[in-house]
Amino acid sequence: MHIPDGYLSPQTYVPLYGALFVFWAIALKKLKRELSAKQVPYLAMAAAFSFLIQMFNIPIPGGTTGHAVGGGIIAILLGPWTAVIAVSVVLIIQAVVFGDGGITAIGANCFNMAVVMPFVSYWTFKLISGRSENKKRIYAAAFLAGYIGLTVSAIVTAIEFGIQPLIAVSPDGRPLYAPYPLSVAVPVMALEHLLLFGIIEGVVTAMLLKYFIKHEPEVVFAVRGRER
Amino acid sequence: MSFIDNGISHLGKVIKTGYVQMELASEDGLFQRLDARIKVLFLAFFIIIVSLKKEILPEIVIALFVFSLTAISRLNLFNFYKKVIFLGFVFGFLIAFPSAFNIITRGEVILPVIHLSESYNLWIYHVPQTIGITREGMSVVIMLTLRVVNSVSLSFLILYTTSFPEIIRALKVFRAPDAILMVITLTYKYIFIFAKTVEDMYLAKKSRMVSSVNGKDARQWASGRITFMFRKTQQRCEELFKAMLSRGFSDSVRLYGFKRLGAPDWSAGVFLFCAGIIFLWI
Repeated sequence: MHIPDGYLSPQTYVPLYGALFVFWAIALKKLKRELSAKQVPYLAMAAAFSFLIQMFNIPIPGGTTGHAVGGGIIAILLGPWTAVIAVSVVLIIQAVVFGDGGITAIGANCFNMAVVMPFVSYWTFKLISGRSENKKRIYAAAFLAGYIGLTVSAIVTAIEFGIQPLIAVSPDGRPLYAPYPLSVAVPVMALEHLLLFGIIEGVVTAMLLKYFIKHEPEVVFAVRGRER
Repeated sequence: MSFIDNGISHLGKVIKTGYVQMELASEDGLFQRLDARIKVLFLAFFIIIVSLKKEILPEIVIALFVFSLTAISRLNLFNFYKKVIFLGFVFGFLIAFPSAFNIITRGEVILPVIHLSESYNLWIYHVPQTIGITREGMSVVIMLTLRVVNSVSLSFLILYTTSFPEIIRALKVFRAPDAILMVITLTYKYIFIFAKTVEDMYLAKKSRMVSSVNGKDARQWASGRITFMFRKTQQRCEELFKAMLSRGFSDSVRLYGFKRLGAPDWSAGVFLFCAGIIFLWI
C-alpha cells in the first residue's frame, strides 16, 4: 500500500502534504500538552514499537503468514494522535532508507496509513466495544478495528490513484500518472483488502489486544478506566 | 518457509540495509564531501522535476545525469543499479504493465494478444474485440517505470552518500520542527537496536525447536514477544528521558552544529541548481 514516486500528480501530493502537516501540528500540540518534556523519547519509542510490529511474521489461519501495518493496534494501545506521529515517522524512515514508498508520496502515504487508518480503527473500536467489559465483544471490536481501518485506508489510496486519469492527462488523452481509473483501482484495492489483507490486520490486532488485556490491561489507551 | 525463517530473513535485510548505508556514506567521493543541506535541497528539487516531466526523453536525460553523479561519487554502480532496477521493475513496470492493454488505455493496438468473436460491455467496463497492447499504454508504462527508477536512484544517491541523521538534521532547511527531527533520529537509531533483539528472539526460538510449531502456539509466541517489545520500548523511554534530564534537558529541543557552507558546497549547489533549471525546460 506504499505509493511509490511517479504515481501521484503534484495536484494530489501537494494538498496531501498540506493535510498531513495540519494533523502533525495538532498531534504534536496535543501530545506536548499531555507529555510535556517527555514527548520526544515517548514518540520515538512509540515509533520504534510501531516499526517492530511489522517485523513479526505471524501465521494466519489458512496456512499463510503475514505482518500487520500496525496503525490500528497502535491507535488502540497508545491513542490515535500518538499513532499519527509514530506511524508517520516509520513511513518516513521506510521511504528514505528502504525505498518503500516515494518521497513525493510521503504526504499521501502518511495521510492514508498514519491518519486515516488509526482514526478509523480507533473509532471503530470505541463504537463497537462501547463501555462493555465483555471480552468477546472487545476482541471482536479489535478485529473489526484492524479490518475496517486497513480496508478504508486502502480505499482512500485507491481513490487517490483512481482520480489521476481524471485530473492529469496529456493532450492526446494519455494518463500522465497512475493509469488505472476509479472503476479499476477501487474494486481491485477494496477486494484484496476485504478478502485477504484486512483479515490479516484484523486477526493480528485482535490477537495482540487479547494478549495485552490478559497480561497488561493498564497500558491499553482505548480501554483505560474500564472495570475488569 | 516457516514464520521463524520469514522473520529472521526479514530482520536480517533490515539490519543489513542500515549497516550498508552507514558504510557507504562514510566513503570518499564527490557527493560524500558535500554538505547535507545541499544534497537534501538537490533531492527535493530533482524529485519534483522528475514528477513534473511528461515525456520519456527528459526522463532518460535525467537518468543519465543521475548515473554520472553516482559514478563520480564512487558508488558501486552494479550494486546501486541492481537495487534501483529491481525496485523500478516491481513498483514501476509490474504495477503499471496491465494498463498497457487497451482495456485500460485506449489507443492504437501494436501487439494483439486475444481476438474475441465480438466486443462486450460489462456494467461500466468495455472489453474490445481485439485485446492487445497499445502504443499509448506502453508509453504510460515506460514513463512510470522511468519515473520510479529516477526517483529511487536520486533517493539512494543521497542515502548512500550521507548518514541518515545528517539527512534528517538537514531537513531544518525546510523549517521542520527540531522536536520531530529528534524523534526521527532517535527512532532510526533504536529500530536497529530493537531489530537485533527481535532477531535474537527468533534465533533463540529456532534453536530450541525440535519439531514444527502449530499456528496457535506460534501466534501466542509472537503476541508474547510483541508485548515484551512494547514493555522494552516503554522502559527505554523512561531511561532516555532520565538520561536527557541528567544532561540538563529543559523541555526545548534544539539541533545545533551546522558548519558554514564552503566554496565547494556553493559551487556544487549552483551547478546542480542550474542543471535542474535546464531539466525543467527540456
